[in-house]
Amino acid sequence: MSSTLTRHELETREHELRKTRMLMVDGNLTLNLRTVERGLSARAYVDGYWGFASAPLAPGGADRDRVQRDALANARALGRFGTRPPLPLPEVRHVGRQQHQGRTPLTPAGCSERLAELQAWCKKRYPGLRSTRFLLGDEHHAKKLATSAGGDSLARIDRAACKFTLVGEDSAGAPIEVDEILSGRGTLADVDWSLDALAPLLDRAHEHLQAKRHAVAARGGLQTVVLAAPLAGMLAHEAMGHPCEADAVISGAVTASLLGQPIASELVSMVDFAHTYDGQPTLVPVEVDDEGTPARDVVMIDRGILTGFMHSRETAARLEQPPTGNARAYSPHDEPLVRMRNTAILPGTQSMDEMIAGVDDGYLLLKTGNGQADSTTEFTFGVTLAYEIRGGKLGRAVRNTTLSGSAIKVLKSVDAVGREMHWESGGYCGKKQLMVVSMGGPALRARAHLGGE
Amino acid sequence: MATDTVNDLPATAERVLAQMRRRGFDGAQVSVSRQRRHELCVAHNEASLLRSTQSGKVQLVGLLDGRRADTEGSELDADSLDALVNGLWSSVASAPQDAANAVSAGQRASVTRGPQQADTAALADAMREVLDWRAAHAPSVMLEEALAGHTQIESCALTSGGSALQCALGWYDAVVFGMARDGAASSSFNYAGGNCHGLAGEPLAPRFGMADMLQAMARSVHTAPIGERFVGAVVLTPRAVASLLGWLLGQLGDQPLIDGSSVYRAAVGQAAASPLLTLRSRLDAPGVAPFSADAFSLAPVTLLDRGTLKCLTPSLYGSRKTGLPHVAVGSDGWDIAGGTTPRDALIAGVARGALVDRLSMGRPSASGDFSGVIKNSFVIRDGQVGTALSETMISGNVAQMLRDVSAVSTERIDTGGWVLPWLRVEGLHFS
Repeated sequence: MSSTLTRHELETREHELRKTRMLMVDGNLTLNLRTVERGLSARAYVDGYWGFASAPLAPGGADRDRVQRDALANARALGRFGTRPPLPLPEVRHVGRQQHQGRTPLTPAGCSERLAELQAWCKKRYPGLRSTRFLLGDEHHAKKLATSAGGDSLARIDRAACKFTLVGEDSAGAPIEVDEILSGRGTLADVDWSLDALAPLLDRAHEHLQAKRHAVAARGGLQTVVLAAPLAGMLAHEAMGHPCEADAVISGAVTASLLGQPIASELVSMVDFAHTYDGQPTLVPVEVDDEGTPARDVVMIDRGILTGFMHSRETAARLEQPPTGNARAYSPHDEPLVRMRNTAILPGTQSMDEMIAGVDDGYLLLKTGNGQADSTTEFTFGVTLAYEIRGGKLGRAVRNTTLSGSAIKVLKSVDAVGREMHWESGGYCGKKQLMVVSMGGPALRARAHLGGE
Repeated sequence: MATDTVNDLPATAERVLAQMRRRGFDGAQVSVSRQRRHELCVAHNEASLLRSTQSGKVQLVGLLDGRRADTEGSELDADSLDALVNGLWSSVASAPQDAANAVSAGQRASVTRGPQQADTAALADAMREVLDWRAAHAPSVMLEEALAGHTQIESCALTSGGSALQCALGWYDAVVFGMARDGAASSSFNYAGGNCHGLAGEPLAPRFGMADMLQAMARSVHTAPIGERFVGAVVLTPRAVASLLGWLLGQLGDQPLIDGSSVYRAAVGQAAASPLLTLRSRLDAPGVAPFSADAFSLAPVTLLDRGTLKCLTPSLYGSRKTGLPHVAVGSDGWDIAGGTTPRDALIAGVARGALVDRLSMGRPSASGDFSGVIKNSFVIRDGQVGTALSETMISGNVAQMLRDVSAVSTERIDTGGWVLPWLRVEGLHFS
């Protein structure tokens, strides 16, 4: 390390990222991929500018000095944009090793055999399907971080997921789909995707698919909706989580001027958990972030009041708030950005049946394909499985539709919160880089816009 | 990547291919690449970070008795490559047999294109010009992120079927992302960007539609819902057109063809879009790889010729699986031919509708049905662009939208990977 560097100005990360992806379509293994990527990166903060450099992790680590020098030189090169007073970055230091105690990973043969077993079972049990897909994925990050403040840590993220999709035809012959995902910490050996575990889920998905054969279009416009837990988790992440990332706040997200003000029903509390929920490790446990900041929970909404934002060291300094451990980098060649970890709306007291019974005319929204939101908190989610609610009872299935609205308006309209919590970590959050996150929530009842006729 | 291999990618690929043959694979593909990138990043309207990264990748496909497995690694030292080959051997042995598995044969090409060395001073000058342009012409815009970068990739792909493909590509790119503010009010975020072969000759800010997007963003802080339900027309900007094309290209590829969900499975030779639409590949564009992932050298292809679907695009595997003709395509590099109607005339022809820059929606279904919120968009009444819109949704069917294109602009935006015009589409449901 250069002797010209003072404390808190340099972090160096060794990062290994391993993944497995297997996709079986109708018995054909169309994807059978294992990857490993290792890299060494350094980031320096000099005279108000950041410099970053990375290279493949060479045997023996001989490139460490060069990568650190490059990072420093890059930071200094930005001096051509003028002098800038350095921010007083908060002092942070974490020493520790994060371990994962999981089962022995499945072999490729074990995965292939189980996929074939599941496909054969589906083919026999659901002969009318047009297609069946099973996607397996796992992902393992190991990050060794050393900081010039004395931080020395090993952080691990290990997650796995199994997603299945049943494809059929509606009454007009058009393709329709229903999918389900199981996700968890660890490897594919730690998530139960055995036939015994999946059979009831497959049967339920097949029932939904049969209902979708005769699905009707939703009525467009403002509707009373019961959002099943996966949609509430998506709402937490996309619609309110992103506008509470401090870099978005500094940019002018509407949340910037709402701190301390009511932005949701008093029934709604929302937290970005660092590593523990209800005494158990979260699906994406972050004990220390990629700047070396010990991670802590961020309560963003407390009984309807906007109470906090998620920070890196830089945004914490800019907004004169404490750092929260939300600076995360996805790949070995990425610099840390402000990212969520395990974002959730906290559970309430109602059962799903009670919430449905309280709706005279509305919709139950069960599954979402993806979601987007922006700085105004206006969000859009694709809804891939939904039912009418008429007189407090479920009615006909609804064709794929879109849920949208202002998250603040929607959360203010919440009049019931479910008591069953659901966590999921199957996909990625996108924001310049990918990121592994989890999202959680109970069911919510609210008013929001549905796309339709 | 170990220093003894980075300057000799073909030799490394040859060595690994030989190692795979010795291990017992009866078919193999080896792709070795090295990437260098320099990137100047802006945060909150100020230069913030300069990045320089080097990464390597080796991708192996192994076939054994009709079984297939893939692996990727980032290191090319002997021990790492041994581990990759051994892991691949373990994976392939347990994969199911599938007669469609194969690797390319007889493909030969070598392509060098674009600037191979980064000019970091030029990157800084270009970004300073963008920042100055914003301050002068769109001062209410906050660039949450922006970047100007240069990428250089060298790659070599060999197969046991005798294919040998090499390329060295270099290009510059730029992206701006942000929102506009007026007091406590803010616009929706938006972004624009693209790739080019050089930064000299013309300012960066107007390229890729970036300046137009930033100025439109500044006009869209204060919004109103469209407030009524009706069936009307949209004028899609090239960014919105890209959403339609993304769905179309997906429907022509492997998965929907194999599982039978593609609505175009039997539509070759038929009218799949308006006769105003011609869509063809653009293989010489900056940043566009001239080879497919399964090691085929790409030939020019026309997908839509005045609305007629000319071919599907299954990979080698998809072709052998479905019996459809193999057509190798890349993920980027597409061009919709410009039309004969000036952009202003496209708008003038809309009695009731919207100018749409971004479609925020769930993934359209396999049938093409969608509904989505139109973002960064403006109302059109009697041919005049009015106020910016909020909470306005349109619904329709993407396949039908492609058929309902009623006018194509003469103007186009060139982002490198795409060259697209504005399109007017009739018959969308507003709510």
